[in-house]
Amino acid sequence: MQVRPGFVLEVDERTPPLLVHQGEGLTLERFPLGTRVVYPPESLPGVGDVDAAIADALEHPYNCEPLRELLRPGMRLTIAFDDLSIPLPRMRRPDVRQRIIEQVLTLAAAAGVDDVQLIAANALHRRMTAAEIEHIVGERVFRSFWPDNLYNHDAEDRDNLLHIGVTDHGEDVEINRRAAESDLLVYVNVNLVAMDGGHKSVPIGLASYNSIRHHHNSHTMVRSRSFMDHTRSEMHSSAWRMGRLLANHLKIFHVETTLNNACFPDKYSFLTRREWEWSVRDQAMAYGMSRGLSVMPSRPRRRLFHDLLADYQVTGVFAGETETTHDQTIASVHRQQLVEVDGQSDVLVVGLPYVGPYNVNSVMNPILATCMGLGYFFNMYRGKPLVRHQGAMILYHPVTPEFSQLHHPSYVDFFTEVLAESTDPATIEAKFEKQYATDPWYIHLYRTSHAYHGVHPFYMWYWAAHGMDHLGDVVWVGGDRAACARMGFRAASTLADALEMVSGTVGRDPSITYLHTPPHTMADVR
Amino acid sequence: MGLRERLAGRRVFMTGVTGFVGEALLERLLSDFPDTRIVALVRPRGSHSGAARLARMTRKPAFAGLRERLGREGLAALLAERVQVIEGDLADMGALPTDLDVVIHCAGEVSFDPPIDEGFATNLGGVQELLRAVHASGARPHVVHVSTAYVAGLRSGHIAEGRLSHEVDWRAEQSSAERARQAAEDASRSPEVSARLREQAAGEHGRAGAQTVSVAAEAARRDWVARRMVAAGAERAQVLGWTDAYTFTKALAERYLEESHGDLPLTIVRPSIIESAVARPFPGWIEGFKMAEPLILAFGRGELPDFPASPDAVVDIIPVDLVVNALLAAAASPPPVDTPAYYTVCSGFRNPLLFRDLYEYVRGYFLAHPLPKRGRGAIAVPEWPFAGSVAVEAKLRRGEKAVEWANRALGHAPRSERVRRWAVDLERSESRVAFLRRYSDVYRAYTSAELVYVDDATAALHAAMEPADQEEFGFDPACYDWRHYLQDVHCPAVTAVLRRPRDPAPARRGAGNLSAGDGVLAVFDLDGTLVSSTVVESYLWLRLADAGPAERAREIASLARALPGYLRAERRDRGHLIRSVYGRYAGVDPAELAEVVAQAGADVLLRRVKPAAVRRVREHRAAGHRTVLLTGAVAPLVAPLAPLFDEIVATDLAVGADGLYTGRLLASPLVGDSRAAFLDHYARRRGADLESSWAYADSLSDLPMLRTVGNPVVVNPDVALHKVARASGWPIEEWPSTPGESRLLVGSRVERGLFAAAAVAQGRGRGAGGAGRAGGRGDGGNGGDATVVRVGVGEGR
Repeated sequence: MQVRPGFVLEVDERTPPLLVHQGEGLTLERFPLGTRVVYPPESLPGVGDVDAAIADALEHPYNCEPLRELLRPGMRLTIAFDDLSIPLPRMRRPDVRQRIIEQVLTLAAAAGVDDVQLIAANALHRRMTAAEIEHIVGERVFRSFWPDNLYNHDAEDRDNLLHIGVTDHGEDVEINRRAAESDLLVYVNVNLVAMDGGHKSVPIGLASYNSIRHHHNSHTMVRSRSFMDHTRSEMHSSAWRMGRLLANHLKIFHVETTLNNACFPDKYSFLTRREWEWSVRDQAMAYGMSRGLSVMPSRPRRRLFHDLLADYQVTGVFAGETETTHDQTIASVHRQQLVEVDGQSDVLVVGLPYVGPYNVNSVMNPILATCMGLGYFFNMYRGKPLVRHQGAMILYHPVTPEFSQLHHPSYVDFFTEVLAESTDPATIEAKFEKQYATDPWYIHLYRTSHAYHGVHPFYMWYWAAHGMDHLGDVVWVGGDRAACARMGFRAASTLADALEMVSGTVGRDPSITYLHTPPHTMADVR
Repeated sequence: MGLRERLAGRRVFMTGVTGFVGEALLERLLSDFPDTRIVALVRPRGSHSGAARLARMTRKPAFAGLRERLGREGLAALLAERVQVIEGDLADMGALPTDLDVVIHCAGEVSFDPPIDEGFATNLGGVQELLRAVHASGARPHVVHVSTAYVAGLRSGHIAEGRLSHEVDWRAEQSSAERARQAAEDASRSPEVSARLREQAAGEHGRAGAQTVSVAAEAARRDWVARRMVAAGAERAQVLGWTDAYTFTKALAERYLEESHGDLPLTIVRPSIIESAVARPFPGWIEGFKMAEPLILAFGRGELPDFPASPDAVVDIIPVDLVVNALLAAAASPPPVDTPAYYTVCSGFRNPLLFRDLYEYVRGYFLAHPLPKRGRGAIAVPEWPFAGSVAVEAKLRRGEKAVEWANRALGHAPRSERVRRWAVDLERSESRVAFLRRYSDVYRAYTSAELVYVDDATAALHAAMEPADQEEFGFDPACYDWRHYLQDVHCPAVTAVLRRPRDPAPARRGAGNLSAGDGVLAVFDLDGTLVSSTVVESYLWLRLADAGPAERAREIASLARALPGYLRAERRDRGHLIRSVYGRYAGVDPAELAEVVAQAGADVLLRRVKPAAVRRVREHRAAGHRTVLLTGAVAPLVAPLAPLFDEIVATDLAVGADGLYTGRLLASPLVGDSRAAFLDHYARRRGADLESSWAYADSLSDLPMLRTVGNPVVVNPDVALHKVARASGWPIEEWPSTPGESRLLVGSRVERGLFAAAAVAQGRGRGAGGAGRAGGRGDGGNGGDATVVRVGVGEGR
């Protein structure tokens, strides 16, 4: 099957209104003539027989013995896996991680391995609920291991952390004790975007705050250009140093997978189709949904979105030694997401969807929205940013000051107390991070409830540090005025108003680029 | 001889020097009569002696001119030299100097509706004490008594100056008034009245407990007595032909003076409605609000849609400096001892101001200078239809009825921020309606009676003055133009205070501003304050955690049937509600309940916790306070909040011999008064200081607890508590519950099912009870594809 590559459209008179995500809503927007629209390649075909691909990867790993040979009776085997922050939206059952874990367990059983534990590598993310874990690992694995041998990593459980050592840059490497003391650690990943995987998996996913603070800070984030390109990301360099140190102490067998761009169910396929190719049904759906969602009460609307399961196809399974494997993985991700773009523009426009890595089954609060826009979407580039230095970014999102008290308790306080004092990442870091990171109540909630770690909102703000540093102006279309102001941004009602507002920075006739995402699109800016 | 000369060398005794007229008079005497000595009666107040009060008074705007001329020290020296202060009041003036030449009695009760005993004591008793003191001193001064034009009472037509014609016996009235308070006190203690007040209090405060009810009932009784005393004065005045207790007692004081002045020359000066100065001490000078100002301001604020006055009635207003001048002229012209002089100082005869003109001028002023509406432009000025008093009265009645109904409806409304906003709005309309009622009642007599005071004697007094004095000390009411007076002098002065830029709002108390301290408690209520939920709701979370749809429906239906009863119980007695809800826990396994909380209930609770509440608890902790959670919820439910508090006082359920809950409580639930008692005891045991402690609560039933501590804070209150808090000046805070959180009772069935299935598959099933229902033993683990379970971890342990 011939798959069309990604491309850059220039808006002309015949271009129809284009789809823009706006939180839990959709907008059809007419862009100014001449706007460049970056479309990702169409969905690549999957590998066909996924189980066979997994078996093959486990049997023929890169730069490593086959998994079968690494297993022996009496050994301690730990399987760690990515948490629910990827992929987004969630994958229709069976999750590819379930398929891999089942095969690894089968091999382990055949080899007579008794001591197996499964750990969700959720770092400082919230503990997943039983149902969420079950969705990832599948019913059978869940039933056999939960809760004693299948559990969430706890970055605050001092007794179950092990300090491995310090890198030549003075970075502490401290990870989950069970994983660190295993004879073999198998890490199962979903490499949704280029940022994921590689040494980011174990040294971060299973680490403690003490270790993570070395790369999750405003200093490294500003110097990660972009953090979607691990060769040019200071955060990744740090993780890579840690990973290499770790590799000397611990045998890690990495299994990485890549997905295609089918991130919405078939019913909503218009979301991944190009607008001028919409069928009448697609057009009706798009129009109906954009109207319907705007009048729908928020709870059913949220449920509708969060119940979406994507019909992804697996485009690659790669296993073996971390770095060699990861090179293959990244190549596969780029095949699906990379689009060549010629030069920067004055204005970058993005529409933020309803979900980001940290609000699965929850609400995307203003801080998460900022992280999503100025962190993730802004960094969806290789080479140089899509928008010029001191250019403007226009984001579509309601920025409603709504927080989940269950999942994001420290975010509420961060928004109310910290942002009231400063919005500068470095200032915030110096003044407040330690207090939030060591707060016993947040730690209690992180460990026993389903709350993100107290320091997590700071990380969200740091993710956006490079964007804030690079950009001259940020305007949110449809954003809550007070919430935007609290974060140091401005809000506009329409794109036209937003362009008017940024005209002081970029002039009255700026060049505009609209990053048409989701599905994920990564710009290779030349 | 000029006025100044006629008063030179005289010694003038003044009462009421701190009042409106007295202050102006003192200023005039000090500025323009250098050779007149002054003796002033000033009542010591609190720690301030009379002399000190007088000294403070000279810092007021009226003395600005003098201050400027003499300097602060110069003015103080002048005061010391010219004014002798007598510390005393109308009840006891002590000894007066023996060489008084003139007495000017400005003191009096100025309220229209004083309690009857106070009205008599001040207005009549004051005059009696004055004569006693003067007689005792041996001096024979000229007595100038400041009365009011309205002593004429409810009449119409022309009212001449002179002795009032009435046959009321002031002795009988005075002695009755003196007994009235005792009678009212006695009546208020009669079983009928007392029972009614107690029932009312129980209706409002029953939830809070008996102590609170009795406090409220006693307060209501005192109110009742006060209202009755006011009503007694008003009624007695009207039945005898006066407008109100003020004019009634003033009239009787005149009669007393006429009978008892003996060998003292007597002058009675009767000003009409005294308003701001036209020229002295400066144009527009006014102290506090007199008669017309509240109406003028209400009109300017757009709150006065009409007024029950006939447009062609004469409103008799007289500027204060004209009254002062008339007093001085009268004081300088003592009448023969046997023929007291009467001077009416008014404008109605020579320079009448019709009500319609007053309205037009004031309206014109506000049209040209509208009052600012905060941040939203200007307030529109109403146009009065002058629909007549009947129509206005009907409208007012309707308003009162509407407020009453709305009040009743709000009492039953569920609590929410919107309802509280309504309550505040309603309170505002309530006070607006009450304001209208009061003023339309009070003013009816002053504005509708088509009566005109004739001031021939006063005009003659004016004419007798030397031309220079007429210029300097004149009191001809035709000397000014009403349009000028109202639009350029009076209204700007009156509205100035509303046009001043507002002070910036005081800094909000909150984060980090709690003073640290040992022995300070911070007590929090749970339901409604910390968490947006109720006892009934949390019962449902716990009970329905495992329930299937059918079971859930059954439970909810049964609960719904019981709900009206619960709501009634909640209104009456919260303890009763808690007991009846917890009766439903009968037969539940405590371990099972704890597990439900651990696996699912905690999520539900934490979702509903208010972020601002958690922040506040943590602030108190950071300040070193001891944080206490007082709740009627069952202990296992609040376990997730345990790390926030030093102490959690929750309800414990009794466990029977079979190890299951019996549905009874181990001890009485802590509600209402018992919370206050508990706190008292707890504080003593902990050595804590309740006066510096904090309490947070949301419902009227927590009133006793809030009253126990020195820093009560009301959070998202119900309407009743909202009212109490506003009246007591307690901080009222809105702690928003997290928006967008599901109000679904439980999303936990799947979760609990998964736990159970895993337990069963791994051979840790807990038998028939509890979680077992999610899947029978054996149908889980071994059935399906064996690839997973063969690993051995699953089965073995």
